Amino acid sequence: MKFDLVLTGVGGEGVLTTGVIVTKAAHEQGHYVRGVQLHGLAQRGGTIPTYVRFGDKEEIYSPSPMKADADLIMSFEPIEAVRATEYARKDKTDFVLNTYPYMPIYGNLENVPYPSMKEIKERIKPFAKSIEVFESDVISKEKFGDIVYGNLLLVGAAISSGKLPLKEDIMRKSIKELAPREIKKNVKAFNLGLEIGKE
Amino acid sequence: MISMRLLEKKGKKVPLLGNEAIARGAIEAGVGLVASYPGTPSSEVPMTLSRLSDKFDYYFEYSSNEKVAFETAAGAAWSGVRSIVPMKHFGLNVAADSVSPVAYAGVRAGMVIMVADDPKGWSSAQSEQDTRFYGEMFRIPIIEPANPQEALEFTKKAFELSEEFEIPFILRTTTKISHSIETVELGGMKDINNKGKFGEEPERYDNVGPGLQKQHRRINKKIKAIEEEYGEKLNKIEHSEDIENEEIGIITSGVSYEYVKEAMSKLNIDVPVAKLVLTYPISRKFIDKFIKDKEEVLVVEELQPFIEKEVERVAKETNPDLKIHGKDMLPREGEYNLEVIIPAMEKLFDKDVGIDFEEHDKKAKEAMKDLPPRKPVFCPGCPHRSTFYALKEIYGENIVHGGDVGCYALGKFEPYKMQDFLISMGASLGLTHGIKKVSDQDAVITVGDSTFFHGGMPGLANLKYNDGESPLVVVFDNRWTAMTGHQPHPGTGETGMGKKVTPLKIEDIAEAMGAEVEVANSFSQKELKEKIKELKKKKGLRVLVSKGECRLVTKRRKKKEEVPLVKFKVDQDKCTKCGICTMKFACPAIKEERKKKGDEPKYVIDPEICLGCSVCSQVCPENAIKPRKQGE
Repeated sequence: MKFDLVLTGVGGEGVLTTGVIVTKAAHEQGHYVRGVQLHGLAQRGGTIPTYVRFGDKEEIYSPSPMKADADLIMSFEPIEAVRATEYARKDKTDFVLNTYPYMPIYGNLENVPYPSMKEIKERIKPFAKSIEVFESDVISKEKFGDIVYGNLLLVGAAISSGKLPLKEDIMRKSIKELAPREIKKNVKAFNLGLEIGKE
Repeated sequence: MISMRLLEKKGKKVPLLGNEAIARGAIEAGVGLVASYPGTPSSEVPMTLSRLSDKFDYYFEYSSNEKVAFETAAGAAWSGVRSIVPMKHFGLNVAADSVSPVAYAGVRAGMVIMVADDPKGWSSAQSEQDTRFYGEMFRIPIIEPANPQEALEFTKKAFELSEEFEIPFILRTTTKISHSIETVELGGMKDINNKGKFGEEPERYDNVGPGLQKQHRRINKKIKAIEEEYGEKLNKIEHSEDIENEEIGIITSGVSYEYVKEAMSKLNIDVPVAKLVLTYPISRKFIDKFIKDKEEVLVVEELQPFIEKEVERVAKETNPDLKIHGKDMLPREGEYNLEVIIPAMEKLFDKDVGIDFEEHDKKAKEAMKDLPPRKPVFCPGCPHRSTFYALKEIYGENIVHGGDVGCYALGKFEPYKMQDFLISMGASLGLTHGIKKVSDQDAVITVGDSTFFHGGMPGLANLKYNDGESPLVVVFDNRWTAMTGHQPHPGTGETGMGKKVTPLKIEDIAEAMGAEVEVANSFSQKELKEKIKELKKKKGLRVLVSKGECRLVTKRRKKKEEVPLVKFKVDQDKCTKCGICTMKFACPAIKEERKKKGDEPKYVIDPEICLGCSVCSQVCPENAIKPRKQGE
């Protein structure tokens, strides 16, 4: 068994930390894990994909998955999901998206409007087996006063909607161990995500 | 907290970053001293060891640059204490002056120079330097892991061999080893020895006249001995019993090995693989053993054909008919990955993975067309944005902007375009000095605080000494080595072990070097502009220190103290949609909301992104940006 997950978003959004938590959970579930976390210049407002690969050791060597071969793409920022299409293909890849946009200043400077969610979905469609959209940051802001809990909320939704094969209780343990702060709120956000994903 | 995984016991399996694995390896090896200047992609090695320094008995420091760090580590190794000095590829250039003579002298305890190369320039730009060539130049052995598990083991191995042969070892990684994760099985820990004594074997350090010749002969002998004794032991040939293809083999090392193995599994082929761990000196016997009955080999290595050239040399003597592939099929530039290697292997072995990567890439590019572009930008609330803004207001656009290495290098991008070049730490001073000597153009030198301590001070002394018409030097002082993850430096006020110390003040140093100095608050446009104007009128060496803490650090501290940041908002009645806040100031927290292209935008500040630096409210000509009330 091999599962290739691409987490993507914008530097400073907490994608890296979410990746660390998911990685630990996959490990605790007994999988061999491999992956990539980029640091440095790439983090400053740029796109930062994090790759998490888990499964049987014999099938996984490369730290990054092969292009057009990911099982799941989770995007914490809508247009970054479009940029991740290079890792996706129609008969294999599920997409789980957050709706909260992070408008790059170059959009302002070059007068390029931010595409609507409908357009984003249209662009992804030729690469997607399925697309699930959750307003995780909006809900996070409403319920917990800050969008930062949206990341784990989205992970919860991805698990309960059957897209991410990780176990709830192991994820919760991993959050408790690794969330840098506000552990209770992060666990609550994750639980709420589980509820929302079921619907 | 993430570091807790590193404290687990022997035999425990934990997911670790390559750099964390190296840190753990150093601890398992009983390292007694760690000295480093942070540089991505190696930064997490010192960061991890800094965080764990209160749990173990080793000494840790962030040195002022890599040369000083290297010397500190060598001093310990000379005195019988194991040491490691992690750095990025360019760090080795800085340390280089001392590396060769220290290698000649040798070491008494294990010393590991951990060097992270950065193919593709993911983390550092500047160049795709290939550290392996330093091995030959310095006569220093190099070993290379392929993954985090090996990173841990080879760190320990490097210490052992360094001690056995009394020579420093380079442990070389690349970005995709340092920043990759793997389930790693931990080993047991050796007792840490952090006390030694210098002065034994004085002849070891004698490199004057005949002493130097003796040293040179000694190091050449060591390299030969390492090649003979470990060339075959460290490297590995994989050749399964029922192998289908014996005529074509693959020679590889580092992370490329991982790609080759997965490509083999994806293409469903079984071929002999030679994996080099000791990439300097390369064992000729090992290469010969692998190539002697082959018709073709493919050498898979990122960057320069370092191994390939050695294979060519050996083949010339022992198998001149061998067809050697490498850089004829694979690029010298950039990083490798499965999509780079698979097409080459498809061709060589006449197989098909079932995906046309070129076609797929075209399709994905089409989907990405006309998306708002995302390039690296100054973070919201960044003090550097404010300093650049004021500088541009006073100096205009048509001057030479001496650029340097640090977060302020992002001033290179739109709309600022105020970093004309990015060469090396502290290079802004010398380069701009040289330009000014032969050109009448007006110029400003920009340099960061950590960079000032690292490599800027000699340049400043030279400006005073040789340049009566020195351009204005602006020091962007945000108190931390921010780009690499907020490490402390001599001006921060604390050490890498968390001890409070008296910070060195850049303004005092500049003044002592004879500069006319002004200090301004980076978050006050008024103060910045006044001081820049004042200094612009004057002649001679002038330094402006623009001080404003990195807002990310401030944000974290305020969060801890539970003090909310005051965010800002746009008063829509006052806003005339002039676009200064987005087009000229360009903070990512300020958005132009449009329904469709060409629509008149509405300007809004996203309170989730705003870090309350207040500078946008200062640059707004209509006074339309105001603090947001709590809960608003």
